[in-house]
Amino acid sequence: MTTHADTAHVHEHHWEWSWAPLFTVAGIFFVLPMAFASFFVYDNMTFTAVFAGVGTVVLLAGIAKWVDEGLTQVPLLAGVASIGLPIFIVSEVFIFLGLFASYWLMRLGFEVWPPEGTPHIDKLLPTIMTVILVSSSITCHTAEEKLEHGNLSGFNSWWMISIVLGAIFLGCTVYEWNHLIHLDFIPSTNAYSTAFFTITGFHASHVLVGLGAFIAVLLPALGGRTNKTFVTCVSIYWHFVDIVWFFVASQIYFW
Amino acid sequence: MSTHTTAAGHAPASGWKEWVLTTDHKRIGVLYLIGSMAAFGVAGLMALIIRLEQMELGMQYVASATQYNSFLYFHGAAMVLAFLIPGLTGFAANYFLPLMIGARDVAFPRINAFSIWLFYFAIVLALLSFVIPDAPDIMWTGYPPYSVTTTGNTAFYVFTVHLLGFSSILGAVNFLVTVIYMRAPGMGWNQLNIFVWTTIAAFVLQLIFIPVLAAAVTLLLFDKYMGTHFYDPSAGGDVLLYQNLFWFYSHPAVYVIFLPAVGILMDIMATMCKNRIFNYKAAVYAGIWGIVAIGGIVWIHHLYITGMPDWIRLGHMVTTLLISVPVGILVLSFWGTLYKGAITYNTAMMYAVSCLYLILLGGLTGIPLAIPSMTVHLSETSYVHAHFHFIMALFSAFALFAGIYYWFPKMTGRYADGPIATLSFWLNFIGVNVTFWPLFIIGKEGMPRRYWNYEMFSDMTVFGYTFQQFNTIATYGSWIIAVGMLLQFMNFIKAAISGPVAPLNPWGSKSLEWTHTASPPGPGNFGDTDVVVDENWSPYEYNRG
Repeated sequence: MTTHADTAHVHEHHWEWSWAPLFTVAGIFFVLPMAFASFFVYDNMTFTAVFAGVGTVVLLAGIAKWVDEGLTQVPLLAGVASIGLPIFIVSEVFIFLGLFASYWLMRLGFEVWPPEGTPHIDKLLPTIMTVILVSSSITCHTAEEKLEHGNLSGFNSWWMISIVLGAIFLGCTVYEWNHLIHLDFIPSTNAYSTAFFTITGFHASHVLVGLGAFIAVLLPALGGRTNKTFVTCVSIYWHFVDIVWFFVASQIYFW
Repeated sequence: MSTHTTAAGHAPASGWKEWVLTTDHKRIGVLYLIGSMAAFGVAGLMALIIRLEQMELGMQYVASATQYNSFLYFHGAAMVLAFLIPGLTGFAANYFLPLMIGARDVAFPRINAFSIWLFYFAIVLALLSFVIPDAPDIMWTGYPPYSVTTTGNTAFYVFTVHLLGFSSILGAVNFLVTVIYMRAPGMGWNQLNIFVWTTIAAFVLQLIFIPVLAAAVTLLLFDKYMGTHFYDPSAGGDVLLYQNLFWFYSHPAVYVIFLPAVGILMDIMATMCKNRIFNYKAAVYAGIWGIVAIGGIVWIHHLYITGMPDWIRLGHMVTTLLISVPVGILVLSFWGTLYKGAITYNTAMMYAVSCLYLILLGGLTGIPLAIPSMTVHLSETSYVHAHFHFIMALFSAFALFAGIYYWFPKMTGRYADGPIATLSFWLNFIGVNVTFWPLFIIGKEGMPRRYWNYEMFSDMTVFGYTFQQFNTIATYGSWIIAVGMLLQFMNFIKAAISGPVAPLNPWGSKSLEWTHTASPPGPGNFGDTDVVVDENWSPYEYNRG
C-alpha cells in the first residue's frame, strides 16, 4: 500500500481503454467489405442499404468519439502525430506509385493514345480544379497561422473557406464524371477510361477523407476546442492531396 | 493528473472493457496472440485436410476440386496474413518492443487498438468464407485471369488484404514513431535489442510495400466488379502486371516474417548463452538493413517462368543470390553468439537451435530456385512448396514458439517448460521433417504443387517408390505435428493456469523487459520511476560481470 504522500508525486497508472477504435473499424467493415460484396457479388439491395446505413452511423460515431477523446485526453507524448502522419504518407505515396506504374505500363504499350472510344476531354476543367485545390492549400495554411496566433475565429473562417474550396473541387470531379459517363465513357470503355476513373477516383476519395478530417476539426473548433497537432496533421494531409493532384492532372489530362 | 499516462476521465471500468477495449500495448499483444493462434489452428486444420486428400489418388475427403481450392486459399492466406505476420509483428512486437526500449506504451495507443480491430474483423471476413455462397477459391495469391473470371467471392479476398494491410501500415507508423521518440533516456541506437531492430526493419518493409499490394488487389477488384482492364490484355492491360505488383510486396513479406523471427532468436540465444550478440553492428547494419535494402529488388524470381527478357531474369538472379550475404551475416551472428557461450537448454532454446537447422535447409534449398535455369525444372513443384515451408512455416513459426516459451514467465509469471513441452517440441520437430522431406524428393522429380489429384503421375517412381507412397509419409508427418501442436497448446493453457511459478528474471537476462518490470507488467509498465540507462548499458552485457 502506498500512502498519500507517496502517490502525490508518482504516476497514476490504470488500464486504458476506448470504444472509439472498435466503432471506427466496425463502421469501415460494414461500409466497405459488407456493403460492397452485398451489392456487387450478391446483388442484394436490402443488405447493401442496411450495411451501408448502419456502417455509416457506426463509423461516424467512432470518429466523433475518437476526436472527443483526442481533444480531452493527455497523450503519452504530445505532438508526435505530426511525425506519424508524414510516415503514413510514405505509404500513400507508394499506393499512388503503384497505380501510376500500372497506368504507365498500359499506356506505353499503345502506339496511338488515347485509344478508340475516348471522347474529347476538356483541359480547362482540370486547370480550374488545380487552381481551386492550390488555393485551398493556401487558405488551409492561413487558417493554421491564425490558430498559431491564437485567433480562433480567424482560424474558423479560413478553415471553412478551405472546406468550401475542397467541396467545389469534389463537385468538379462529380460533374466531369457525370459528363463523361453520358458520353458513354465508363470504366470498362477502354484502357484510358480504366486508368482515368481509377486514378481520378482514388484521388477524389482522398479529397473526401480530407474533407471529413476538416469537418472533424471544425465542429469542435466552433465550440472553442482545438488541438494544434490535430490541425497540423490535417493540414499536412491536405497539402499531400494537393501535391498528388499535380501528378494526377499532369499524367491523366495533360500528357 | 500525470503527464505519463493517457489518463483522463475514465472511471474505473469493469474488467472486460479493460481487456476487450484495451489500448494498452501488452493486452493488445495478448489479443494478437489469441487471434493469431486461432488462425493457426483453423489454417492448420486445412493443412491436415489437404494432406489427407493427397494421401491417395483421386477424391476422398473434399467434396469438390473447388472446395480443395478454398482450403488452399484459407490455409495460405491465414497462415501468412493472420498467423505469422500478426504473431510476430503483432503479438511479439506489441508486447515486448515498448518494454525493451523502456517506453510506457506505444506512441499512439488508440491507433494500436484500431490495428487489432482491423485484424480481428479481417479474420471474421476470412472466416465468413466458410458460410457464404461462392467462397473465395483463388489461393492466397489471387492471380488473374482466374480471380477475375471465377464465380468465387474475390471481393472478400481483396478486403481481407485491405483490412490486414491497413492494420500493418498503421502498426508501422506507430512503432517507428515509438522507437524514434520513446526510447529510455540514454538509450542509443547501438544499445537496442536485436528484436527491436528487426521489428522496425520489418515495419519499414510493411510501410513501403503493403501499399503496392493494396493497389494490386484494388485493381483486381475494379477489374472484376467495375469492368476495368488493368489485367485484361484484350484491351491493353497486362495479366503479368498483377503478379509483379503482388510479388513486389509478397516477397518482402517473407522478410517481414523472417526478420522479427531472427530478432526473437537472437535475444533468446544471447540470454540462454549468457553471451553478447556476435558482430552486433554487422548484424544490424549489414544483416538486417542489408535485407531491407535488397529485399525489394528480388521479386522477379517468383515469375521466372513467365515471359520476360533474359536480362531481367539475370538481374534478379544476381540480387536473389546476393541476399544470401546479409542472411549469412545474421546466421554467422547466431553461431558466434553460441560459440563459447554458457548454453542452457530449455524449451525456448531447443526451438531456437532447431531453427539453425531449419534456416540452413530452407536457405540452401532456395539457391536452386534463385537460378532461372533450375527454376524452369523446379517451378510449380512440391519442391518449392517444401522450400518455403522450411523458411516461413517452420523457421518462423518455430521462432515464434521459442519466443512464447521464452516470454511465458513474463506474460503469466509461470514457466511453460516441462516434460510435455519437451515432448511436444520433439514431436513437432520430427513431424515437420517427416512431412516436408518427402515433398523435396518427389518435387525434384516433378510432383506438382496445388493439385488436388495427381493420378496422371501415378506411374512415376523415386528410389522405386511411387509419389503416392511419399505423399503418404508426408501425411503421417502432418499427424505427428498435429499431436505435437495439440500437446503444446494444452500445455500453454495448463501452464498459464497452474504452471510452476517463475521468479522475476528466470533466465537471468539483462534486457529491460526482464530487469525492470513485474511479471506480468502492470499499467504503465515500469511502476513509478522512469527507466534511464547509462551509455555503457546493453541488453547483452553478460561478459561485464
